[in-house]
Amino acid sequence: MPVLPINLAILAGTGLILWVMRPHEKRFMGWLAALPPGLMTAWLFLQIPAIEQGATISTVLTWVPSLGIEFSFRLDGLALLFGLIITGIGAGVALYTHDYLERDPRQGYFYALLFIFMTSMLGLVWADNLLTLFIFWEGTSISSYLLIGFNDTEAQARTGARNALIITAGGGLAMLAGLVLLGQQAGTYSVSEIVATPGLTSLALYPAAVILVMAGAFTKSAQFPFQFWLPGAMAAPTPASAYLHSATMVKAGIYLLARFHPALHDSPIWFWGLLGFGGLTMLIGAVAAMGQWDIKGLLAYATVSELGVLTMLLAFDGQAAAVAVTVGILAHALYKGPLFLVAGIVDHATGTRDIRQLAALWRNLPWPSAAGILAGLSMAGLPPLLGFMAKETLLESLLHFAEHTDPTVGWLALGAALIAGALFVAYSFSLLWEVFLRREANAVEQAQVHHRPRFSFFIAPLALVLIGTAAPWSLSLLTSIASPTVASITGSQAEVHLAILEGLTPVFVMSMTAIVVGAGIFLARRSMRRLLSLYPASLGGANLFQQALDGLFQVAGWVEYVLQGRALATHAGFTVLAGLSALLFAITRLNPSDMIPALPAAVDPSGTFLSNVFPEMVLAFLAIIAALSVARAQTRLGAIISLGVVGIAVTLFYVLFSAPDLALTQLLIEVLTVVLLVLVFAKVPPDRLPPIGLRRQAFVLFVSLAAGLFGFGLVLFNVAPALHVADSISGFYLANSLSQAHGANVVNVILVDFRGFDTMGEITVLAIAALGGYALLRAPRFLSPDTVRPVKDRRGRPSKASSAGQPVAVGEAHLAPADTTVVAVDPETDE
Amino acid sequence: MPELYLRLLDRILTPVLLILAVFLLLRGHNLPGGGFIAGLMAAAAFQLQILSRGRIYVRNRVGSYLHPAIGAGLLLAASAGMAGLLDLAVFKGVWFEVPLGPLGTLALGTPVIFDIGVFLVVISVATSYLLDLNRVAEGVDK
Repeated sequence: MPVLPINLAILAGTGLILWVMRPHEKRFMGWLAALPPGLMTAWLFLQIPAIEQGATISTVLTWVPSLGIEFSFRLDGLALLFGLIITGIGAGVALYTHDYLERDPRQGYFYALLFIFMTSMLGLVWADNLLTLFIFWEGTSISSYLLIGFNDTEAQARTGARNALIITAGGGLAMLAGLVLLGQQAGTYSVSEIVATPGLTSLALYPAAVILVMAGAFTKSAQFPFQFWLPGAMAAPTPASAYLHSATMVKAGIYLLARFHPALHDSPIWFWGLLGFGGLTMLIGAVAAMGQWDIKGLLAYATVSELGVLTMLLAFDGQAAAVAVTVGILAHALYKGPLFLVAGIVDHATGTRDIRQLAALWRNLPWPSAAGILAGLSMAGLPPLLGFMAKETLLESLLHFAEHTDPTVGWLALGAALIAGALFVAYSFSLLWEVFLRREANAVEQAQVHHRPRFSFFIAPLALVLIGTAAPWSLSLLTSIASPTVASITGSQAEVHLAILEGLTPVFVMSMTAIVVGAGIFLARRSMRRLLSLYPASLGGANLFQQALDGLFQVAGWVEYVLQGRALATHAGFTVLAGLSALLFAITRLNPSDMIPALPAAVDPSGTFLSNVFPEMVLAFLAIIAALSVARAQTRLGAIISLGVVGIAVTLFYVLFSAPDLALTQLLIEVLTVVLLVLVFAKVPPDRLPPIGLRRQAFVLFVSLAAGLFGFGLVLFNVAPALHVADSISGFYLANSLSQAHGANVVNVILVDFRGFDTMGEITVLAIAALGGYALLRAPRFLSPDTVRPVKDRRGRPSKASSAGQPVAVGEAHLAPADTTVVAVDPETDE
Repeated sequence: MPELYLRLLDRILTPVLLILAVFLLLRGHNLPGGGFIAGLMAAAAFQLQILSRGRIYVRNRVGSYLHPAIGAGLLLAASAGMAGLLDLAVFKGVWFEVPLGPLGTLALGTPVIFDIGVFLVVISVATSYLLDLNRVAEGVDK
């Protein structure tokens, strides 16, 4: 049974059903929404023993069999860990959302988006095909965009959503390119097969592939220099922030790196890229978090920092780092998710998230405060919480690297991690002390709790925190989850030994030092914050990104003005020149002798010069004369009629070459064009065309010659035998038109049958052009005869039709009531 | 008011042109013709009528059908293409024979229906443009 896709389908359906059920009107809907992901968590729990034994669950659905593209899913250790986080926290968030968006009529829409995201994220971590993975990856980007922009009346939300979409979807495209490179070189698009392929790092295109994949991971996981989109995404409703922007989606990049770690990690690009960007992000995030006054802003930068830690860890080879990544992912999900949820409860209860206005919340919000404090202590990495264990494993793996592989790099990384660890402690303590514990806020106006949360509102964060707190005490279960995950990350069997409080090891000493230093920074937080406020806001990432976007639009506007901003003739001229430059480029790559055309074999040897070529020469001559007279015409009418003659000459060419369909079409088009041009332009003053300036004449002459050269070149390419690349398809059409398509008129059969799909596209374009023309020709400048226009008095002001019976309405107008501005209305505008 | 000879021409030629258009459409699969040509031919007929009877006259008669006909044409063409799914391929021609009793059988295929869709789109798009451009031309006139 394809159990994995069924799970995904259930989740996707749940969101839509909830939307229809108008969840904001009923109290129990939160519990109902939490049910499917909750059951899925339970199911995943039951799979732990089998997965630990090394079994996997996989499903393959064919999708585009001719291209070998499949919808395939596979549940292994890493996918199980992520699946547990996604469904488990997803259930909590689904319950929480109902109270957060209390009685909001858009709650159903939010649920729909949330479950679409949940489906995409779960599909992403379960995917076993590169393209399946990509599709779900972009699904998370799009649902994240919609969730960030949920409050679409706020400019901040729209900007945040747009930035997040540009960054993550752009990175997703880079990743797609990388995945295709990987798939093509490895000869398979199956993720599990690629991961098992040895020697990928020695391939010629490996650097390009790995850099592109890293670009996808770094954008999604908010690594420097893309880190700014994550704080901007905090404009999303808090359940979305907790779920997408801390617990799950931002870890998709980490997931990607972990997933391909066995196949790609063995190269300097991978090591230095991940170590450098990850380490930098870790420090930037940790420092920036100290300077935030918004709880969610602080948590966002803390998340950025933690993502940097995980990225950095994935640079290293070996089991110790993989263990640290696994525990780090789990710990972060179990403390940062609840912290965000508590921040939402605080916001909901007091109406603010500004740390300066908050104090002593433990008195009025005891349960949420308990959850927040426990989670915060875990974030600080205090023993014996899961966060402490994550920090221990991190330091242990770095120490291991420093002692056994490369002391310089190892000790540097260890030092950076300790600095970040101290900052983790400092901002965690600041948050806990100022929001929950201190007696009064230092702001003039202290926020008051006016809205106590219900049980169903705070049970989700509380439960998650309790799970996180209990985890270090059920080490066997934790090991069962961690060891298959570690095996997936390292690509080999793993024997994981987790422990907590092992006595006075060097790592424990370092960890304690970091806590003490962090506590010191906490005490000196005022000067730290003053220092950070000196950083100019104009140099913030979001600001720089906005400037880059503005610059892009300016360049685009300039290019458009130069190429298309003037008369239609200039625009057309540039198009012709672009075509010519392509042709010239092609010619420079050719051997001149290749361009000699073949003598026309079709010339009838028995005929005379007159019967063979003479009619064509006459027609060509006629067309040239007519074209010249278009250019030399003194009046518009003359030019239009001469243009018609050119068209008729071309029509006769078709007749000469026995192409009646083309001739008919061309003739009809010519007739209609000439009639319309005469109608529209013949009466435009002045009657005589103004002279053209010399420079303009030179440009026009140049473009004309270029156009002629372009056509000549195309013909040359067509008739030179040396340039013959493929046989003409005409023979196939002629042979099969009657027998296979039941039509003797080959042109028509091509249009409606062989190339029917093209024709469908063409008539669609035609229909769209009709709509465009309809709108364009109804633009105000063209509406003079039958527009809605105010009738003005002699001084140009709108007249009041008050005076005695003077005619105010024009043409077919209706008379308006006497006391309003009179408007002339043609019935046509009512069409 | 347009000249007398134009109105006379309209009375004779417009029906002839329209019938010719249908003729070209139906014979298109085997002889010169087809949806594109027929559509343009019919548009030419309407242009003649615009010249002889005036834009408002034509607009009042066919104007309201044009945009629906564009959609109908697209729909017809697309469904004809989808009919190929009977043979498990999009835009594959499906042919069937309609028995007409003593008259023999009529071979009908989705390409013919597709062509009728093309005809509808072309005639409506062209005529809609013609009506609007003529209105703009009148505006320039004033």
